[in-house]
Amino acid sequence: MQRAVEQRGIPTVSITVALDVTRHIKPPRAVFLPFMMGHHFGVPFHTQLQRHIIEAALGLIVEARESGEVRSLPLTWAQARKQGTAIEREMKTEISRP
Amino acid sequence: MSLKYLQEAVGAGDAEKLIRYVRLHLGDGDEAAGRREIDKAWIEALKLLLDVPETDRAFILQTIAERDAATLAHLYFHLHFYFVKRSGEWIHDGLL
Amino acid sequence: MTGYSENAAAQLRPGLWQTVNERYPGSMIHKGDFVPLARLRKPLAESRLSFVSTAGVQLKGTLPFDTVHPVGDYTFRRVPSVSKRDELEIHQLKYPTHGAERDLNVIFPIERLQELAVEGIVGALTPNFFSFIGYNMDAERLERTLAEEIADAVVADGADVVLLSPA
Repeated sequence: MQRAVEQRGIPTVSITVALDVTRHIKPPRAVFLPFMMGHHFGVPFHTQLQRHIIEAALGLIVEARESGEVRSLPLTWAQARKQGTAIEREMKTEISRP
Repeated sequence: MSLKYLQEAVGAGDAEKLIRYVRLHLGDGDEAAGRREIDKAWIEALKLLLDVPETDRAFILQTIAERDAATLAHLYFHLHFYFVKRSGEWIHDGLL
Repeated sequence: MTGYSENAAAQLRPGLWQTVNERYPGSMIHKGDFVPLARLRKPLAESRLSFVSTAGVQLKGTLPFDTVHPVGDYTFRRVPSVSKRDELEIHQLKYPTHGAERDLNVIFPIERLQELAVEGIVGALTPNFFSFIGYNMDAERLERTLAEEIADAVVADGADVVLLSPA
């Protein structure tokens, strides 16, 4: 799919949580995160992380030199979840404030 | 399994390969689970009929008479999932 | 943008390709080579961005993706890029959607993409994003039909750059 778009002359980048699958598919550019399936852009309400992942992907569009490049972001799933939990706690606190 | 693999199985009359594929689909990749899901769906359907309730037989007979076989086959799969959902337990490999 | 780590954390679910290939033999795509890179022709801030997703996200009230068919659903949906989060729903059986159900952006970041366009990080979004369901047992058919149809649709919508996210 991604390759079909790239072959039409449009640069592409995908997000993956499965490096082994990506190695088989060989997309032109990919950003890898060690996250849970179905959570490619992070955790609920963590807008900063969601955005960061997209911006990293767009950065790779601009910067990639060789087809097949995979960029990894230095964040673990545990860290993402911890940050997400803190954000949600903050949200709840704000709601309950009189 | 590729379409080719399944078509070859049909050509060779390889029932085991074909039913294995059905079980894998219904069991989300786990054949034993798929077997259990098939049983579960039938049990749920049976439970609904024990008291011999009023049913719309005209609709059933009409649907079978009028609809093409592929649509009925597709419906069969939908009905399986419908009854499995009624059982309250839903197969889902949370790991994949 | 921060640099990338050489010691990236390992993927959360190891051996995914192996597991899926065992459960659904023949469904996994394998390629032997890389396609040449297409280059961005304009600055990102002047480019039109599109998004393609295999998460099975669609507008509420439209015909649901077929998660029931034993060989899969080889159709795609257009999701207007101006859609609001609560106008969309997800139909997906093959992996956890609890995050997506609370905040769709974790798998279909429509709000984040809209923000990028508003802020001028990208020039614009294509009128549509594209969504299909990742359960396709016939990999060859997937490539022959659906992949080409979506690629054509993306081009027709005027995309200069495309972000994709598989399931």
